[in-house]
Amino acid sequence: MSQAKNNQVTFTIDGKPVSAPPDRTILDIAAENGIEIPTMCHSERVSRTTSCFVCIVRDAKSGKWMPSCSASVMDGMEIESSSPAVLEMRRTALELLLSEHTGDCEGPCTLACPAGADVEGYVRAGRHGEHRKALEIIKERIPLPLSIGRVCPRFCEKDCRRHVLDREAVAINDFKRFAADLHYDDYMEELPPLSGERVAIVGAGPAGLATAYFLRRDAGMSVDIYERLPEAGGMLRYGIPEYRLPKEVLDRELAHFKRMGGIRILCNHELGRDVQMAELKERYSAVIVAVGSWRSSGMRTEGEELARGGIEWLQELAAGGWQGDNPGETVVVGGGNTAMDCVRSAIRLTESPVHCLYRRTEKEMPAEQIEIDEAREEGAQFRFLTQPISLRRSGNRLVLECREMELGEPDASGRRRPVPIEGSEFEVTADTVIAAIGQKTVAPEELPTNKWGDVAVSEDDCRADENVFGTGDCTTGPATVVEAVAGARRVAASVEAYVRGEDRSLPPQVNVSRGHWQSLSPDDLTLLSQPAERPRTRQRLIPLDQRTSTFGEVSHTFSAEELAEEGARCLECGCTAQRDCSLRELARSHRADPELYRGAKGESGYDASHPHIILDNGKCIKCGLCVKLCGEVINENLLGFKNRGFETRIGTAFDRPLPHSCTECGECVEACPVGALDWKQKTLEQAGG
Amino acid sequence: MVTRIKVGTASCGIAAGAGEVLQLLRKTAEQHGTLSDVPIVEVGCIGHCYAEPLVEVETDSGRYFYEKVEPKQDQLRRILNLEEQGRFRPNEARAQKERTSIMALAGRIEPTSLEEYRGHGGYEALAAAHEMAPEKLVEEVKESRLRGRGGGGFPTGLKWRFLAGKESDNKVLICNADEGDPGAFMDRTLMESLPHLVLEGMLIGAKATGARRLFIYCRAEYPRAVKNLNTAIEQIRAAELNVIDGHAVDIRVKEGAGAFVCGEETGLIHSLEGRRGTPRYRPPYPTDYGFHGAPTAINNVETFANIPQIVRYGASAFTKTGTENSTGTKLFALAGDLQYSGLVEVPMGLSIGEVVFDIGGAERGGVKAVQIGGPSGGCIPAEHFDTPIDYDSLSSLGAIMGSGGLIVIGTNRCMVETARYFLEFTTRESCGKCTFCRVGTKRMLETLERITGGEGSAADIERLGDLGTKIKQGSLCGLGQTAPNPVLSTLRYFNDEYQSHVEEGFCPALECKALVDIFIDPDQCNGCKLCIKACPVNCISEDFVVDNAVCTRCNSCIEVCRQNAISRVAKGGAVRVAS
Repeated sequence: MSQAKNNQVTFTIDGKPVSAPPDRTILDIAAENGIEIPTMCHSERVSRTTSCFVCIVRDAKSGKWMPSCSASVMDGMEIESSSPAVLEMRRTALELLLSEHTGDCEGPCTLACPAGADVEGYVRAGRHGEHRKALEIIKERIPLPLSIGRVCPRFCEKDCRRHVLDREAVAINDFKRFAADLHYDDYMEELPPLSGERVAIVGAGPAGLATAYFLRRDAGMSVDIYERLPEAGGMLRYGIPEYRLPKEVLDRELAHFKRMGGIRILCNHELGRDVQMAELKERYSAVIVAVGSWRSSGMRTEGEELARGGIEWLQELAAGGWQGDNPGETVVVGGGNTAMDCVRSAIRLTESPVHCLYRRTEKEMPAEQIEIDEAREEGAQFRFLTQPISLRRSGNRLVLECREMELGEPDASGRRRPVPIEGSEFEVTADTVIAAIGQKTVAPEELPTNKWGDVAVSEDDCRADENVFGTGDCTTGPATVVEAVAGARRVAASVEAYVRGEDRSLPPQVNVSRGHWQSLSPDDLTLLSQPAERPRTRQRLIPLDQRTSTFGEVSHTFSAEELAEEGARCLECGCTAQRDCSLRELARSHRADPELYRGAKGESGYDASHPHIILDNGKCIKCGLCVKLCGEVINENLLGFKNRGFETRIGTAFDRPLPHSCTECGECVEACPVGALDWKQKTLEQAGG
Repeated sequence: MVTRIKVGTASCGIAAGAGEVLQLLRKTAEQHGTLSDVPIVEVGCIGHCYAEPLVEVETDSGRYFYEKVEPKQDQLRRILNLEEQGRFRPNEARAQKERTSIMALAGRIEPTSLEEYRGHGGYEALAAAHEMAPEKLVEEVKESRLRGRGGGGFPTGLKWRFLAGKESDNKVLICNADEGDPGAFMDRTLMESLPHLVLEGMLIGAKATGARRLFIYCRAEYPRAVKNLNTAIEQIRAAELNVIDGHAVDIRVKEGAGAFVCGEETGLIHSLEGRRGTPRYRPPYPTDYGFHGAPTAINNVETFANIPQIVRYGASAFTKTGTENSTGTKLFALAGDLQYSGLVEVPMGLSIGEVVFDIGGAERGGVKAVQIGGPSGGCIPAEHFDTPIDYDSLSSLGAIMGSGGLIVIGTNRCMVETARYFLEFTTRESCGKCTFCRVGTKRMLETLERITGGEGSAADIERLGDLGTKIKQGSLCGLGQTAPNPVLSTLRYFNDEYQSHVEEGFCPALECKALVDIFIDPDQCNGCKLCIKACPVNCISEDFVVDNAVCTRCNSCIEVCRQNAISRVAKGGAVRVAS
């Protein structure tokens, strides 16, 4: 090694010439020269651990790889800290660490939410009585909390880990409803000043409204929403019946959009009639088509024109203020949520029987179970494995000829295909037949469509054509409000990038998960504290006689007490370190795939016996910082490595609990790059970040 | 006239029953009127481990070796009568190829007899060293071009010069006796058979480098070596042979708890200091910052054993053996599919084939490869058997000299399974510090298990190569840097076997249990039912059909069948013969 004058060596880092004393590490010198090399196991305060190898660099001159946290600089080195080969090695190191990392970066509820709301965060805020905070977290991703708090099919609850303990999810959506009911009117998010950029949205349904919200809140754009119907709300107003979502509530929801400033809703403006696409494209920086799926599919049987379309029937009811005529004995054909809406609305309008015909069994019904159950409570008569063949008029009545079915082999959707039973034909008579078997999009003529007739948009950036974008049901076919909101966030980001000519690549999401609750046993869970043993709190409903005769809202919002009790059932599955985990951050920035080296996980036992600290071995990356800090800095030597190789773990002598006095120091907790040693308390500040 | 009787009681001898032989021999000799006063002594190993227990009878007219001696009085009496029966005749080819220099006295003298060692010129080199300037000693070792025998091959003289150059009165010299490779026992044999040779080498090292504290870090699984070394240390203390330049150097044996990684020098130092045995980044090298921060040099047992002859006969005599870059001899522990397993000392530069066939007696045409350098060495295929054994040639083939383990792999072995076997060892022995080694080896092992289990894919093969290379680049110590070698070298030389596993679900060697069925050929079977009796899981029916869903592929039936009617066939019944 030839050393230059003044005890300095000269070399290059990423091509940049540098000179430094020879006893310094590559990591330090790089940092001093503005080149940040990531590391997870290095700390100035303790002797070198050299274990994570995330800081690995290559000396192009010798071809040698070295951990930059420990390798000293040498004369003539040509250090690569960010060449493709180095980044690949670094990514592999991260991927290997991820492959042995057991935990849940996010709670499964949060992951399940199509809109990506921090579900665990708002439930936590709610259980602690911080309802305003809860609303703030909710609104980060869900601009329509009053409505979604009532009509969401609760994807989050389907994946809730509470199932592992007592087969019943936490009543999550009720937290949203409570927070929104309580604080919606006096809540206003921080808004950027208007930028002057103007965007048009066609359709003031959930997709259009939510897109407007994100463009206004996150980009400061002014939005004009063109709505063909007399009032805004789309399906929320004209599709979802009053008893599920009172329109007074919807009006409250919409009032907020007005208060935000910059969002204008122009009703009675139908595309192609009152306003032309070419004109919108010309006048606005971008046009977003969110016209929904409003045409009922026919029954494809003889006489199908004698049946009412489900969505059209509901729309008519809505327009009439839910005061429609008595439909008499009613047969609703279909098994989805719209069918349930029709069934339950009909029950409220007539004393006569209301039937629901579905060609498969209850198990295959796409409608939410709670809708089916409540419809049944209200007197709906279900007839499964029944398919209409033809419809004809007979005097004042309608005669629906049907056929019995049986379930055959599974079809493309995974559900067993209904097969007709020969000679099983029979007739059903009714005053009204409503076909609620699906809805179709009526796409604006100017736009390209896909094979289902929906507006065809690029998967990449939701763009349909030139400066026209599409989102919501009209691009996907009928879906849920929360999915419309999820799509709105994507299209808003695309529009912002398009209008501003920016590159738009959202950072990839990295998530480690213990897996779905169905594959877990109680022993697989890491519990910060013993969760409350209580059954799920049920929504209180109005009396049944009111349910069958009025359109009054069926369910009550939880009381504050009920909410607190239900909140105690939450297992708080998400990682305590989800907002400050180096592994996750680096995995994200290096696009590391947690599943690439999928294999056995190491020991995953945890110790939560300390009142404030949890030691979760499944998350440990064996960097040893805690061991060294406790030994070299604090001089307590409470922690040490156990076992060897893949079975290596951190632990105390004889696996005794950490002393309570550890809380006063907390150095190990603060130094832990992941959530292996962490405070048990999940603070509200952590949430919603 | 019989003057002395020697029984080989190194670990290999003891394992073969030398303890019982010794006991009974003493009793028999007592009863044998004329021999009751003849000393019967324990000696070490002469290297022919396959022939143990070995008994040597010294007479004034010659020496007589007896092999595979059993503790039976009539046999022992025949030996005492110097009868012809049971005489040991080493194979001729070996005698011509081997070169015993450091092993010259092994098994010939009593290991813990200082007098006998001195009687054969022992400690004369140390005496000569006392007369030499340390610089001259270091120079002599440098000129001998002796390279570290522990595996790394670093020039010993250079390492000593680094240590000698340190200004410190606290220097440490360590003998690395943590021999951990499965199937390797060179160091054990040296320490058990010739502890004084190792100690003499170390004391010369102390003189040359100025080290004042000497440690022998020996794995606790070598109790006989520890015992003999401790006895020998007592003897040299009593004889004040440990006094160098007026100082009595401290020399002691430290027992390690058996972690493979403690054979790596920084891991060894950590362990010696009482810490967790994990390596650290170098530099600083131990000669700059070693045991408790003191300048430290670490040499292997066999390296030290080479020192006395260099000092005694000079570097130029030493370099006459071996090749230009690899001088002297090398000890190899031969194991696997060969006739004569055991220890052999050969001149560097002998070809692999000469060791395998001539010395090891392996069947020509029956060998597929050798694994050289222990579990982290590489598999060298038979077509490269003319390669000379030296540091550089071996590494050019993707193997390493290692410490001297040499495992012969027969044509009946699956190379994927072989690689899996070795990787299983290194995965278990990883200390767990470096991400690439801790997790990477585990993921490679899982991938190999998928392949041998018939569930591998082409992507798995690709991943093995990619991950293996990265593990070598991203690990701190020799363990991680070499652990993928068996996989990478078999991927290089036996790629077709990997392909066959994943593409056809076929193990060409019919070794991988998940890919074979057991088949009883009705044309060969004579209905003796031995197989039915032998089957531990009762999966052979009365009409001699194997229920392969139950069968564990233990081979018991194949081994008992006298008709050779039972064989392994490719899974699924298609009768494919092993290639």
